[in-house]
Amino acid sequence: MTPERWQQISGIFKSAIALDSDARRAYVAEKCGTDESLRSEVEKLIAAHRQASDEDFIGGNAAEKGARLIIDPDEIEPSPSRLDDGQQLGSYVVLRRLGAGGMGEVYLARDLRLGRTVALKVLSADVSSDRRRMQRFRQEAKVASSLNQPNILTIFEFGEVDGLTFLATEFIDGATLRDALRGKGLKLPDVLDVVIQILAALDAAHEARIVHRDIKPENVMIRRRDQVVKVLDFGLAKPSEKRSPMATDQRSELETEMMTAPGMLMGTINYMSPEQAQSQAVDGRTDIWSTGVMLYELLAGVMPFGGPTTGHTLVQIIEKEPAPLPKSAAVPAELQRIVSKAMAKNADDRYQTAKDMLIDLRTLRKRLDADVPATDDTNVDVKKRVVLLLALVMAAVVTAAIFAVNVWRSRHEQPVVTTPTATSAPAVPERTLAYSITVRQFRNGREKTYTVSGEINFEFADQIRLNASSPQAGYLYVLNEGPRNGNGTPEYNVAFPTPTANNGSSRVTPDQVLQIPGDSWLRFDEQQGVERLWLIFTEDAIPELEALKKFARRETGGAIADVAANKFIENFIATHSSSKPEVEKSDKVTTVKMPGKVLLYPIPLQHH
Amino acid sequence: MRSTPKQHEITQLLAEWSGGNQSALDELYPLVYDELHRLARRYMSRERKGHTLQTTALINEAYVRLVDQKNVQWANRSHFFAISAQIMRRILIDHARRHAYAKRGGGAQQVSLDEAAVVTSGIGSELIRLDEALQTLAKLDQRRCYVVELRYFGGLSNEEIAGVLHVSANTVTRDWNMARAWLYQQLTESGTN
Repeated sequence: MTPERWQQISGIFKSAIALDSDARRAYVAEKCGTDESLRSEVEKLIAAHRQASDEDFIGGNAAEKGARLIIDPDEIEPSPSRLDDGQQLGSYVVLRRLGAGGMGEVYLARDLRLGRTVALKVLSADVSSDRRRMQRFRQEAKVASSLNQPNILTIFEFGEVDGLTFLATEFIDGATLRDALRGKGLKLPDVLDVVIQILAALDAAHEARIVHRDIKPENVMIRRRDQVVKVLDFGLAKPSEKRSPMATDQRSELETEMMTAPGMLMGTINYMSPEQAQSQAVDGRTDIWSTGVMLYELLAGVMPFGGPTTGHTLVQIIEKEPAPLPKSAAVPAELQRIVSKAMAKNADDRYQTAKDMLIDLRTLRKRLDADVPATDDTNVDVKKRVVLLLALVMAAVVTAAIFAVNVWRSRHEQPVVTTPTATSAPAVPERTLAYSITVRQFRNGREKTYTVSGEINFEFADQIRLNASSPQAGYLYVLNEGPRNGNGTPEYNVAFPTPTANNGSSRVTPDQVLQIPGDSWLRFDEQQGVERLWLIFTEDAIPELEALKKFARRETGGAIADVAANKFIENFIATHSSSKPEVEKSDKVTTVKMPGKVLLYPIPLQHH
Repeated sequence: MRSTPKQHEITQLLAEWSGGNQSALDELYPLVYDELHRLARRYMSRERKGHTLQTTALINEAYVRLVDQKNVQWANRSHFFAISAQIMRRILIDHARRHAYAKRGGGAQQVSLDEAAVVTSGIGSELIRLDEALQTLAKLDQRRCYVVELRYFGGLSNEEIAGVLHVSANTVTRDWNMARAWLYQQLTESGTN
């Protein structure tokens, strides 16, 4: 083909694909005239265009696809060996895996010597092989922990057994501040309480000349029983030491190391101070900046700095003033002043000590308490509070999912089996839905299939199927909400209705047992986190949800590739989340009831 | 201003290249190649479980490492992304070739039919064939070839590509449609032979 011929073809192709099939044929025929071979080439290209877009040809990115080529399997360093339940590590017996973070995996374990339960963090080889960093960490963690400040996570032991470096700390039953943020945030007094406690921890650490360097919501936990805040991982962040101006090379090495520390690559640079972003020496005021960023996020619901790329974000941190906090009765002007002062670009203009900032926040907190006695009710929009409360419930669910295994086990031991059956017609409109989850796992080459009533921990490649039925007729929609993406917006996939299951209909008759998704399974992919399977069971069909059927394609995993549709779902969930479902779990079935014409229930799926 | 000699050099080279000095590219290319390659390998060894490589994250990281943030113009930034996309293509093809080569037993001259079938079934051969088709495309239509390179190998969005190539986003979409259809045709035709 000559470039001229190409130009000719592409000119016709470009306009032709925008037309519908009849118009297109006419257009192509007219443009090509008597040149049959031109017409045939254009037609073939149009057909290729259709197929390529159906198959999403070169739709992803090459590196993702070719990643395995870059490294040979035998070159890959061994991953930190996963510990099994019941396995012993020194004097600790692993009870179960709690999760994984940037630094390694975390297990719930029992210390046999002292008979206490601990969190055991097994550091990844990546972290533990860095001798200098480990040395520093060992030292700083010890000092921070020895401060005995109630808001600093206590470290019991730092040890090494069988080549595994681990850290035994007190175990906190609760959720991270990140979880709380995901659920739309906290009430103002709670925000202040949390930040005040973080500052108290920092104040004690800074007194002892320890800088945290990686203050972010993932490193803050809120204990469930008393809402006490614990700051984690003191000293674990990569140090960015003060160096002589001559040693620019080394400093830059440190800088880049800092940026590429595990877990820092994606997203978490957002809490970095300008001096960290420019790899200058840091001191306690860096932590104050990061605390300011968190306070901002807790109040505004969005991070103050966050560009489409790392580069953009860094430039924003260094140069851009964040947008002012939304003005509302719930966010007093004084808070704007405090946040701005904590986030002054120049460290000299910031609060110089954590204590100063703490005092300002505490004063404000007292003033809010003392103001009108009904501050909370008048200042914070009532509707909003309902949502916030629900948000907290959701955050708790994350932790609940972690413990679900045990709950399920203990229930399992009881021989009582209550089968949910049709109840007498309720006086007020109410929706009832029962569900169970069939799990198919592949372990050691064996397939195992069983059915549970609730949430368990899943691993990559595990498969599940949802069984749902109701004594009532209605319309059922099942959506999967995956782990949030970078900008904090959830992504939904449609699991039901699909064009194949239930004859392509969302309509459910009384006591019909629906298997979702039809004959296939939902499979956990490699992305980890907490997902939710939203059950929506309505008395009347919802046209916007009906329309989701077209996205239920196996190739795309049911991804809803439409912004407006995603937005609708988000709003729908928010609007119908105000009444709380009544949940009853038996051995194999969970029954959910909710007043009104719409039942909405998220099944949390903890996924490692 | 704090920048390492390397950062300074690369920032300078980027500026020269943007200013039209083509020989700056020759110096820039190996520096960026090394860095992207090293990062890709390191990233892969760390991310063993996921086995995914996010081009945008990778290139961004290289950018942060290599370019002096305070002394760079935004125009040079898009040049950096353009060259990185090209290099990602090079890196992947180099590896794909090496894999194909290794599978044939270190470059034996004779390839039995069976072995050839193995070699041509993987992602590596798909990439190699795509690369060859792109070379042909470049001769017919350089801009459409860039669009594919930036999007598929560089992980750039249509809007970003529009910025790099100084055309509208609509033009990028049209270019993409045409190039993709043509590449699809090339690959499926040669695949069935």
